[in-house]
Amino acid sequence: MSYLEIKNLQKRYTAKGPLIVDNMNLSIEKGEFIVFLGPSGCGKTTTIRMISGLEEISGGDITVDGESIVNKLPRERGVSMIFQSYAVWPHMTVYDNIAYPLKLQKLPKDEIKKRVQAAAEATEIQGLLKRYPAQMSGGQRQRVAVSRAIVVEPRLFLMDEPLSNLDAKLRVSMRTELKRIHTKQGSTSIFVTHDQSEAMSMADRIVVMYKGKIEQIGTPMEVYQDSATRFVAEFIGTPPTNFFDASIVREGQEIYARGEGFDYKVPSSLHSALAGYAGKEIDMGIRPEYIDILPDQRKQDGYFCDARIDFVEPQGSHSILITEIGANKNVKIHTVDHMDIKQGTKVSCHVKNGMVMFFDKESSKRIK
Amino acid sequence: MHKNMKKATPYLLLFPIFIYYAVFWLAPVASGIKEVFVGMDGDFTLTENLKLMFRSDLFSESVLNTAAFAAISVVLQYVIALVLALLLSRKFIGSRFLMFISMIPMAITPTATAILWKTGLVKDGWINSLLMGLHIIDNPIVFMNAEGFQAILLLIVIDTWTVTPSVMIILIAGLQGLQKELKEAAYTFGANKWQILKDITLPILRPSITTSVIMRMIAAVQVWSIAVMVLGYSKAPFLVERIAFYVDAIPGVDTSTKLAYTYSFLTTIVVLLATVIYLRVSGRNKIAAGGEDE
Repeated sequence: MSYLEIKNLQKRYTAKGPLIVDNMNLSIEKGEFIVFLGPSGCGKTTTIRMISGLEEISGGDITVDGESIVNKLPRERGVSMIFQSYAVWPHMTVYDNIAYPLKLQKLPKDEIKKRVQAAAEATEIQGLLKRYPAQMSGGQRQRVAVSRAIVVEPRLFLMDEPLSNLDAKLRVSMRTELKRIHTKQGSTSIFVTHDQSEAMSMADRIVVMYKGKIEQIGTPMEVYQDSATRFVAEFIGTPPTNFFDASIVREGQEIYARGEGFDYKVPSSLHSALAGYAGKEIDMGIRPEYIDILPDQRKQDGYFCDARIDFVEPQGSHSILITEIGANKNVKIHTVDHMDIKQGTKVSCHVKNGMVMFFDKESSKRIK
Repeated sequence: MHKNMKKATPYLLLFPIFIYYAVFWLAPVASGIKEVFVGMDGDFTLTENLKLMFRSDLFSESVLNTAAFAAISVVLQYVIALVLALLLSRKFIGSRFLMFISMIPMAITPTATAILWKTGLVKDGWINSLLMGLHIIDNPIVFMNAEGFQAILLLIVIDTWTVTPSVMIILIAGLQGLQKELKEAAYTFGANKWQILKDITLPILRPSITTSVIMRMIAAVQVWSIAVMVLGYSKAPFLVERIAFYVDAIPGVDTSTKLAYTYSFLTTIVVLLATVIYLRVSGRNKIAAGGEDE
């Protein structure tokens, strides 16, 4: 049995309303850093609020260490939470903010002092203890919120989009800092975000959610390279995966994925999975960095179409090329090898190492 | 030159306001204060008019009544308004309707309020018939005969009925401006509802509470119209009621004009003192000043 178990968890706000969280099942190991990732309205925040006790559940169970927590008050659950707005109390000094949870536990004064000091040092705000939140920057307030959350030594460390109110640069450095604190404290953490790069860079495992359901659970590399559904392939990665409508055609020993403007010979490793799809329409997805181009229009293994480069977007370390293939007018190609390519160049496109993903049109599930 | 013009522009634009204040505000205030320190004979005097006021009829009653009225009514109105505001700021079926009902007293003019209560308070008025109908009392109470402290209590009830909604609205506005996550954070860290109210909600609301308490206090010290309209002059003497009495009820007598001015002067001093003391006690400047780095 895992440390945190979520079983058939359900949430609806009104008796006959839609399921905001739809039969969610998830096991989290002790010390793991889990990220709930999904667009707004996918149920990720609702789920974390049900774990924290801020929201009642409509069905299912949540257990920590084998013990159900759903009927307990937040303080009995051993959780602490960081909010999107930081929720640092404006009328208290930094010291009082961090000390308040301990005062509620009626700890002796000198122990409170010791623990507040340690928590402040962990986030490097020990010099700001006498200040009021109004006198601090957003990043400093966020550190206060983190200190206040770690000072209670929680069993579960819950973070609801804690970085989305920070400016871009600070957000990236706070990621590293939160990871560092997590490594040091070792507390089981759940982090909610809609930012896929945040999820990728922080998570031990990502839980991708969409419309109240879990689409995929996996390590960052798993959800990226081995997306389980079309939604995951689309949501994770910048620029997003390119999609094409293709039909599967069997010719002798070979299988082809054909569509408007392209013709791709499917690698034999996918033959058995695609066996039932001969003559049917499917979605074909290729990530921008798995499209290889040859400016001299040579054809190699993995060739799937010719194209003309419409725009070049240099990014410094790489360039994004934009082209039109069939009905998809916005195909993006990530290139490192051909950064000097000019707009208007005619090229041939290849799928690198057979890194193509096929999805069932009805279920959106990956065919593999 | 051009730069100087630019600097002067705001003052030029505000100049008419300055004139307005000087003519219609500063001048009457100054002449009012002057009257207090000019005796019947037209000579300067520091204490003559004050002594006249101290020895005048009902002086100590009016001071005590005003103090009692201000203290009790402000506290009572805040407690009731806070309870109502906390109740109405959460969404429940009928909360909008209840809000509408509770705001009705605000829309009624003081004169109408006085008439409404007067018709209720007379011996065969609606209050007695209601209480008797509910079998709370057997014989009608003669409210209008109320004297002394009872009269003050009666006026406190009427004033509370009239004023509580406006206090409630200020508090509801403050509560709605309060970020939900501030309370939720306290809740997840183990605070119960009472602790959240005491440690988070009320302290954060303090600036808006402070401002409105001062305004309520000033208004309470200036009470008179309800007292006069419901009970008549001299039944429940207050500071401002005395001013009105000397101006309105016995005009033309030399001393009465002097007394009116002197009472006005005293009222102003009382309001000023009360405000300063309240600001000190409530420690409102604490947050703004803040702490220092270690």
